[in-house]
Amino acid sequence: MNSGSVLGIFDSAELLVNAIPRVKAKAQGRLEAYTPYPIEGIDKLLGLRKSPIGGMVLIMGVIGAISTILFELWTSGIDYPLTTAGKPHLSWEAFIPIMFEVTVLFATFTAGLGMLLLLNRLPMFRDPMLSAKSMPLITRDKFALAVEFSGSDLDVDSITKLFQQAGAGQVEVIAKPAPVGAVSPNFFAGLFATIAVSCVIAGLLMYWAIKLFPVSPPISHMLVQPRLNSQRADGFFKNGFGMRLPVAGTVRRGAVSYSITSQENAAGLVNPYPRTNEILNQGRRTYNTYCSVCHGILGDGHPMLTAAYGAKPANLVSQQMIDLRDGEVYHVIRMGRNAMPSYTADLAENERWATVHYIRTLQRAMNARDDDIK
Amino acid sequence: MGSDAVVFPENIPEGLKPPAILVGEVNAGGLDDQVHSHLYRRPPKAWFIAFAITSTFMLTGFGCIGYTFWLGIGAWGNNIPVGWAFDIINFVFWIGIGHAGTLISAILLLFRARWRNAISRFSEAMTIFAVICAVIFPLIHVGRPWLAFFLFPYPNQRALWPNFRSPLIWDVFAVNTYFAVSLLFWYLGLMPDMASLRDRTLGKVRKVIYSVLALGWRGAASHWQHYERAYLIIAGLATGLVLSVHSVVSFDFAVSLVPGWHMTIFPPYFVAGAIFAGFAMVVLALVVVRTTMNLKNLITDYHLEVMNKVILTCACLMGYSYLLEAFTAWYSMNSYIHHTFMQYIGGTYWWAGWTTITCNILIPQLLWFRRFRRSYTGMVFVAIAVTVGMWFERFVIIVSSLHQDFLPSSWHIYKPTIVDFGILFGTFGLFFTLVLLFARVLPVIATTEMKMILPGSQPLHKGGSHE
Repeated sequence: MNSGSVLGIFDSAELLVNAIPRVKAKAQGRLEAYTPYPIEGIDKLLGLRKSPIGGMVLIMGVIGAISTILFELWTSGIDYPLTTAGKPHLSWEAFIPIMFEVTVLFATFTAGLGMLLLLNRLPMFRDPMLSAKSMPLITRDKFALAVEFSGSDLDVDSITKLFQQAGAGQVEVIAKPAPVGAVSPNFFAGLFATIAVSCVIAGLLMYWAIKLFPVSPPISHMLVQPRLNSQRADGFFKNGFGMRLPVAGTVRRGAVSYSITSQENAAGLVNPYPRTNEILNQGRRTYNTYCSVCHGILGDGHPMLTAAYGAKPANLVSQQMIDLRDGEVYHVIRMGRNAMPSYTADLAENERWATVHYIRTLQRAMNARDDDIK
Repeated sequence: MGSDAVVFPENIPEGLKPPAILVGEVNAGGLDDQVHSHLYRRPPKAWFIAFAITSTFMLTGFGCIGYTFWLGIGAWGNNIPVGWAFDIINFVFWIGIGHAGTLISAILLLFRARWRNAISRFSEAMTIFAVICAVIFPLIHVGRPWLAFFLFPYPNQRALWPNFRSPLIWDVFAVNTYFAVSLLFWYLGLMPDMASLRDRTLGKVRKVIYSVLALGWRGAASHWQHYERAYLIIAGLATGLVLSVHSVVSFDFAVSLVPGWHMTIFPPYFVAGAIFAGFAMVVLALVVVRTTMNLKNLITDYHLEVMNKVILTCACLMGYSYLLEAFTAWYSMNSYIHHTFMQYIGGTYWWAGWTTITCNILIPQLLWFRRFRRSYTGMVFVAIAVTVGMWFERFVIIVSSLHQDFLPSSWHIYKPTIVDFGILFGTFGLFFTLVLLFARVLPVIATTEMKMILPGSQPLHKGGSHE
């Protein structure tokens, strides 16, 4: 045997601590103590260097703090500037609570996992100490001092004697186990199969979670929101209407009463609006929105929608239309004519008269005289 | 350092002497045997009866949550303007309960209060279970808990990020960090105990489980050195964390403009209240645990007396906070805040306000008497009163403030439904079910930490010979 360790088992921390300097003076090899709980001052006796965990925690904590506040500033102020409560986009004060929490998260997990994984190399289930006969004693109430050796023969007897002189109750010799051989191809095949199966299961679960779960009950109950829709029949009210009728005599906002029933009677109405640039622009907007669909953008009766509508729309720039009085055009807009419906509900009073002005403009433009271009 | 952390003058009369931290002869091996014995024995009948009761409550609560998912949030009594009712009351209540555990395990560790070692494991476990109960409420309150991941900042196709200026998002980070850190801290403390269990247990399955959980811990001095340092650092960080978590919870209220909520006293007031409620719950649980599990020699009258003193201190802090709330209301010269404060003590929910004051301020004053601090009846009475009082305190803060908002036409009397109560008692069932299971499968006392404070556990000459 040329590598392993010799363990001396002591009954008290006092004996262990007293034994360390004596064994250290005489024995070759690294010294290690195994105890059920931390013993004060033992790290100095064994010559262990100071734990670097504080520095690790500080560095990771600072990284956590800086990266979090930068992330918050970037998301809330730059990538998607979000205005809330009238605060500036880069309101760093509001980002401090989360910065603090993430700093603590980074720092504590650095301390915990850094200690376990990096410094103590845990989990480690193959350490020979774990199969030592004295391990159950150590985790209970005994204290062990180990002299570790490797590559060189050690005088086990003299170490044993040394331990006994120092007050060790028993001595155990632990051999380092043979190194584990290379991993077999079967292992990799199994590993690959496991990963593949896991991926398939995870994929199916994700499909279920994203595609099926949100539309299955009771989740889908959220999508059902019973309500009365306007313009729909519903049995809730006696008259079977989904919407309520306005109270009798209700007047629409901005409504102007209109009692003329025939086009001829309307001929006497005078356009109350002047022909200003502003009004003509208003007329063009209204015309292009409502009228041009049937009468064409130039008013010539060549519509964007073809004759599928059933009736042939009037040519607004024809002589017949030019001869109509302003009031008559206004009347048609209000009351409709032939297949054309009424636009009373869609247009305000000024929009109607502005449209009349615009139609006049179209008529003039489409029947331009030669001297117009001089 | 010996076990006697505090030295008392010698000439104290017998009746006034404080109880001992440890009763009778305790040695490291015997300690393991005593604490672990509950894991190997078939639990007594009382355990099964208790488990039946708590799990019935728990399942009823789960049933009520399922019913809520089926029907929607309309199953509860919440309605505008009382949009936050039982859910946020219970959330704040449970998070508060959890704070005692971190206080005991982290802050008292930094203060080197050695009596904490006997109760740290248990109270840390209570922290974790309380946080589990707490997170249920905001999760179901969002209405679509399966979309709660929206709260985390992850790149998504909507190109949206959470609103980091919102206290509700702060809450998400604070509570999640708190849970993760508490779990880590608890687990690190458990690891050496797991090694001890691994080496002593006889059952094969248990041996595998404990071996895996111990991560191959072998108690090497070089490991202990890093371990202790990391443990201390985490305790220090957890101290800041525990103060921040309830402060952030209080920001949910304080950052809003609701009269009665918009106060700078809220963060310390909430932290004090959290420790108050948490200690009361720990006392309740400890009384049960030390009697039923025969741990009277480890969790002694001393522990209970010290805990009761902390409760008394917190009760006085709470009284100060309530007075300050009244003062702030008066000093604000704002008729809305006046109105809200008068609602607390004389409005629709006046009984809740007076229950709070009675249970949180008046009844704990009994603990000035040694007899109450040391008798089970006395401390259990006070602890139950504090638990009830602290729940009603949150009820007053939330419901009384909200039910009469700025617009009198929308004033509304809030009435909880049976489903609300079902979920509340369900979380109590969940909490105590987890506590019972914990007592069954894990050591309720941190044996490794206890071994450190046993007489003769450390070399006497400390510091002398190793220079």
